[in-house]
Amino acid sequence: MDIFSDLVMGLSVAITPINMLYLLIGALVGMVVGVIPGFGPSAGLAILLPVTFGMDPIGAIMMLAAIYYGAMYGGTITSILLNTPGESATVASTFDGFPLAKNGRAGPALVMQAAASFVGGTVGVILITILAPLFSQVSRSFGPPEYFLLAVMGMLTLIMMIGTNWKLGVISALIGFALGTVGVDLETGQGRYTFGSAELIGGIYFIPIAIGLFGLGELFFAFYCGLHKTGTGSIVQYDKEERFWPTAQDWISTKFTMVRGSILGFVVGVIPGAGATIASLMAYSMERSLSPTPEKFGKGEMAGLVAPETANNAASSGAMIPLLTLGIPGSASTAVLLAAFLLWGLRPGPLFMQQNPELAWGLIASMYLGNMALLAINIFAIPLFVQLIKVPYRVLGPIVVVICAMGTFSVHASFVETYLMFAAGIVGFFMRLYGFSPAALVLALVLGPLAEEALRQTLTISRGSFMIFVERTPSLWIIAVTIALVVLLPLLGRMGSRAKKVEQAGG
Amino acid sequence: MTITFKKGQSYLLGTLLAAVVASPFAFATEASSQEYPSSSETLDWTIAFGPGGGNDIMARTIIDILGKYDLYPGEIKAENRAGGSGAVGWGYLFNQSGSGYGISTTSGSFVTTPLQADTPWQPEDFTPVALLATDDLVLVVNGSSEIQNIDQFIANAKENPITIGGTGTVNVDFIVPTLFAQKAGFEFDYVSFNSMSEQTTALLSQALDAMVGNPGEILGLIESGDLRPLVFSGQNVPAALEGVPTMGEVGHDIGVSMPRGLILAPDAPAEARDWWIETMKKVVETPEWAFYIESNTLTPTVIYGEDFRTFLGNTKNGFREVLKQVGAIK
Amino acid sequence: MRVLFLVALLGGAIFYAYIAFMDLNFMTRTGRLGPGFFPRVIGVSGIVITLLAIFEELRNKQLQEGSAEQWREFGFLVALALCYAVLLRLFGGYVATALFLVVTLAHLNRGRLMQNLLIAVLVPVGIYFLFDKVLNASMPPALFALPI
Repeated sequence: MDIFSDLVMGLSVAITPINMLYLLIGALVGMVVGVIPGFGPSAGLAILLPVTFGMDPIGAIMMLAAIYYGAMYGGTITSILLNTPGESATVASTFDGFPLAKNGRAGPALVMQAAASFVGGTVGVILITILAPLFSQVSRSFGPPEYFLLAVMGMLTLIMMIGTNWKLGVISALIGFALGTVGVDLETGQGRYTFGSAELIGGIYFIPIAIGLFGLGELFFAFYCGLHKTGTGSIVQYDKEERFWPTAQDWISTKFTMVRGSILGFVVGVIPGAGATIASLMAYSMERSLSPTPEKFGKGEMAGLVAPETANNAASSGAMIPLLTLGIPGSASTAVLLAAFLLWGLRPGPLFMQQNPELAWGLIASMYLGNMALLAINIFAIPLFVQLIKVPYRVLGPIVVVICAMGTFSVHASFVETYLMFAAGIVGFFMRLYGFSPAALVLALVLGPLAEEALRQTLTISRGSFMIFVERTPSLWIIAVTIALVVLLPLLGRMGSRAKKVEQAGG
Repeated sequence: MTITFKKGQSYLLGTLLAAVVASPFAFATEASSQEYPSSSETLDWTIAFGPGGGNDIMARTIIDILGKYDLYPGEIKAENRAGGSGAVGWGYLFNQSGSGYGISTTSGSFVTTPLQADTPWQPEDFTPVALLATDDLVLVVNGSSEIQNIDQFIANAKENPITIGGTGTVNVDFIVPTLFAQKAGFEFDYVSFNSMSEQTTALLSQALDAMVGNPGEILGLIESGDLRPLVFSGQNVPAALEGVPTMGEVGHDIGVSMPRGLILAPDAPAEARDWWIETMKKVVETPEWAFYIESNTLTPTVIYGEDFRTFLGNTKNGFREVLKQVGAIK
Repeated sequence: MRVLFLVALLGGAIFYAYIAFMDLNFMTRTGRLGPGFFPRVIGVSGIVITLLAIFEELRNKQLQEGSAEQWREFGFLVALALCYAVLLRLFGGYVATALFLVVTLAHLNRGRLMQNLLIAVLVPVGIYFLFDKVLNASMPPALFALPI
């Protein structure tokens, strides 16, 4: 088979001792930059880019790619243990990951996230291997109308985040939307809420808000609850009796979640600009609407952690497709990868895989190996991270404040953003105390600008007509999927739960 | 983000030294004007954007060349001072007024950021060393479009309303097609995107009629025929776009482009400026520089000293005029 | 107390909406959605829903509040965190972090002086090696470098 021989050729390129070493270094660095809150893959890539100048292109690109997908593995660890997302794609992992850890299941949660990341990453690479040409058609069919519909679909997640008191939930989302409008208006170039400040031209960045609301907000709340006063008080429980490994039930109940999360994540990842963050959020909301027990989500449901984790890793694989086949980077991280390609005089585009088969297939082959290496690194590292939560909270707490501050600063070297993080921490505390929804705020901040820009672009293109949404085939597809998600999935889920209840009643 | 380019000493010692020298309480320089550059002074190289961006790569390319050919005798400390679309980094350089050891590279935001925000500095305030290259744009349509060349494009645009995509509004992407359309006598709707990749997918998905963009990022798609280049905004067409006319060649020259140059702090000593002009004359002759220009599809446009200041002033005024016309700025 | 938070939010929403109506255009010249379109929608809905929430809050206030001591602990940590933010600007990442840790731990982890000092020194050093040496990332630079 053609693909098979290509892959073998790629493996032969990738498996040289020196390339393997680069791959391992990349995977490790990726893990580390992923773990540090704020310090995402794009920053890690950009910083290590100059180091690769003297290297052979294939080794260098393998290493840089490993940093990119390795960060997806690392990013979840702090989401689970500290409720602080390492980067935007792992926000959704805090929803159930942190409650799991609080319930004393930190060990199983960490193992399951590593496994889910591995499955997502590997399924993603398999799909690249066999379906790259097909998916390159998907990534070239998305224009502004489709992005708008995609953002609307993402906002369905928002409805679920709103929680019991709808007024407070809606207020949370509106704060997020409001923050999203800050910055220079894309269409007219007019400043909105910038008050002449150069720092605000580019808008309010998502990372300081997320770190503040989730990480620092949770920390303040823990102190308010007096956690630091208990002897070994720790924000997450770790029971020695509790098994480190996930139970059989964990695996069985999430096997389809992994499959669904991988495929959804990959498809969303293929769309330039949608990326791992939206993929993980959509996977979470899909899993919740499919679940027979949606009320357990947000309280420590394993599927609620596995879904976003498989999806964000699959999405990071998927994002390689527009990069390799069209030369279009779908995210900040792949944009740095593209810059690396260009530095070596390589021009990704439709002809790239034919013109540089060794490089392209070597990279794809290395992604299989890299994911395996990352799984191993993760499993070995988990006991280390579990030690972290044994540190008494009165000592860990101040250190978390330091990590949040340093992580935020490292992103753009901006004091304004660091202060913003502290402010978001205080607001996050009150939101948590008074029953608001920080998750809805963060989601609205991500999706609001995307939706507004895409809608205004669409209406400029269509000269004000909304018919454009039904005139384009890809748009129609997204509308159909959205309707299915809203109407059909909850129905299916309800039928499933009823069937289960009948079963239980009968048995 | 400090990269210390050491000469001889151990790495740690070099860093320590740099830290001491860079501290504001370091010894005042005695008899600074004797000889420029003094090898005991650390050159404080500000990169006004984060690592990996266009500005960063250009700065580090020049620093590499300076090191490789032994053009600068002292230590160079390159630091990314990102924030506020360049306002933070260039503001930092602005505050070193009078020093000959503060230096930075410019890019498009050097002109556009002061138009959008109340920066304490203006592009003309700095001591200009040289304009080294310009970023120019290519106008492309979808490869499946019936429009084969720029004449057909203009003729079609006069008949039917068209949309042209670009990145941002307070940007050369908006200015170039606007000025070109004024000269060629057609009207269009500009659709502003956040990034080159979003606008490229929009064009590929047939949502847009045309777009402008930096040729370097879409050469792969041009080569494969997915995108068709029609006209180039610079003075000389890069090798990869051979056969594409420039806007000047089709009779509608617009004379606006994004400056990639080198500046010193305001009121830098004359000998510092002259030294850098002489040095940059050597830098632009190196094969490494030629490779940089080629791999980033820049247009090599070299002017020195006061001419560069005039160029900056003209570009800024051109921008302000167009942006005022459309109401983007007041 | 929740009502106070809501009132603060209402103030924010009114300010936001005020700017949306005063400074930003509803439509562009060509008749498309202008920069002020969504801000006005967001601002007005924000005011309306916050008002609804406030009325509801005033009608049934059975939400129980934390004890004074809880608030003291919270206030203490927030104050320290804010001092830390200011110190970062003044003295840079390393010095500020060490100072913050010494003071905070002296209060929280009382009686373990050696342990606290060790942490206060080792954490900034660890961060320095990870950020500066391994990752080559930026740390907050000092406005006033301490002579150390």
